Amino acid sequence: MLEVRNVSKVFENQRGVQHMDFTMQRGEIVGFLGPNGAGKTTTMRMITGYLLPTKGIISLDGHIMAEHPREAKRKIGYLPETPPLYMEMTVHSYLKWIADLRDIPIRETKKRISDVMDRLGLIGRENQIIRSLSKGYKQRIGLAQAIVHNPDLLILDEPTSGLDPKQITEIRDLIRELGERHTVLLSTHILQEVNSLCTRVMIVNQGRLVLDENTDQIGHRMNGGNVQVELVPNCERTKAEEILNGIEDISKIVWDGESNRCTVTSSKSNENGINLNQSNSLNEQIFFAFAKADVAVHELKTRLMSLEEIFLKLTSGGM
Amino acid sequence: MRRLWAICRKELQMYFFSPVSYVAFAIYFVIEGYMFSNQFTTMQIVDVRIIFSNMSMIFLFIVPLLTMRLISDELRHGTDELLMTSPANLAEIVFGKYLSSIIVLFALIGGSLMYPAILGRFGDLDMPVLWMSYVSVFLLGASMMAVGLFASSLTIHQMVAGIVSFASLLLLSMIGMLGNSMLTDWKDTLGLFSLIERLGKFQVGVLSIPDLLFYVSFSLLFVVLTILVLERKRLR
Repeated sequence: MLEVRNVSKVFENQRGVQHMDFTMQRGEIVGFLGPNGAGKTTTMRMITGYLLPTKGIISLDGHIMAEHPREAKRKIGYLPETPPLYMEMTVHSYLKWIADLRDIPIRETKKRISDVMDRLGLIGRENQIIRSLSKGYKQRIGLAQAIVHNPDLLILDEPTSGLDPKQITEIRDLIRELGERHTVLLSTHILQEVNSLCTRVMIVNQGRLVLDENTDQIGHRMNGGNVQVELVPNCERTKAEEILNGIEDISKIVWDGESNRCTVTSSKSNENGINLNQSNSLNEQIFFAFAKADVAVHELKTRLMSLEEIFLKLTSGGM
Repeated sequence: MRRLWAICRKELQMYFFSPVSYVAFAIYFVIEGYMFSNQFTTMQIVDVRIIFSNMSMIFLFIVPLLTMRLISDELRHGTDELLMTSPANLAEIVFGKYLSSIIVLFALIGGSLMYPAILGRFGDLDMPVLWMSYVSVFLLGASMMAVGLFASSLTIHQMVAGIVSFASLLLLSMIGMLGNSMLTDWKDTLGLFSLIERLGKFQVGVLSIPDLLFYVSFSLLFVVLTILVLERKRLR
């Protein structure tokens, strides 16, 4: 539903975003990761139509943002990093105003507003001045503003930043709930958030998209793109090394201290990591090699890289 | 239209939330009232011109106060992201804001109707002069508001916007005097751009179409410039 095609943004004296290219399908919750200044906000601002890309095309359900901004914008709900609130307004008058701005049919306005207030737990605060509410509630109003017109795509720029742990959990639960009805693109610094919320993760670094993968697949990206398998053979180290050296794919064996645990690295790899099948085949090869030599293996597992490791690796210029 | 009106309505609300606008309203009514009563009691004649003689000077002070917030505040609080990512386009946003300032202007000028009401009790009023003068100060105010709106789009700081619009309005008001004193060769040309000198014909009771068109196109020019400034921010 969202297509970002080869989009670049060049600012006057700094690099913005380069050759951003991805699509999003209906129902996805995508986590957008990257260090500060990597271009997350810029990308989001281009998708929402706040900034115009220098090059490239952004379209939503076939409506190109640069050509039909009104149609495209109607499909997007956007919560910027600081919720765009008018502090002097009451919660209700603010949402009423948003409804007018967002072309919500007058007859439906009342229902939509009460519906959204209900979903975001704002009932009972209708007539409070926004300034007097806590940061967590302000964030909720920001979310309410983004979903009141029932958009297909929800763009959230660091929705949990600056909140206390309880509020973070609340907002996260809300986002998870919203993910059932909307497609969500959210940027964050908190990697755990991506693990718990998102179906897919994209990492940007220095204005480039360096990783785009489903969260359940991401752990299988290995160190430097190599497959690593951890095992505990029930025999002497020398014997085990002998067996392992018989497998031609294995390039490195590292023993873990004094224990019998070792990590083997396969040389067979591709640039962008591997898929499940490849790591399984190495597991199998190791299993059968030991079986042939009549040696038991107590543990045998593919070593997965955590999101933290991947993030640090990708954003520190390595790989 | 609904979006434009929504933006206009919000701005009107903001006028009444903001202490600055109350200061501006107070300056307007106190100074205008003082000048009127002072001149009327000393001169003791029924002359509607004394209502309008000081208005351009008062506008010079209150217009920056009333317009400086309009766009700079949105830029400062990030609410421009909300406006620009809504289905409203820039023209609707800017015209909505401008319209709200025009409505405030209309209300302020409407408030000064009490002076002719007072004058009317003491003698006959020169109706053409009275109404054309009202038209003229309205046009003047609307043009000044457009300049203020434009200044407000240039910066995220209200105060800077206020100072910029005060300085530009001061310059535009004095441009005629400049022709009289220093740049005498340019007197006629400069006079064409003087916001104040254009008031002359209206204030003798004549509806001067060229002057009317001048004020309207002057206002439009600055509103369009505001739109362009904001459009440029998106391109950077």
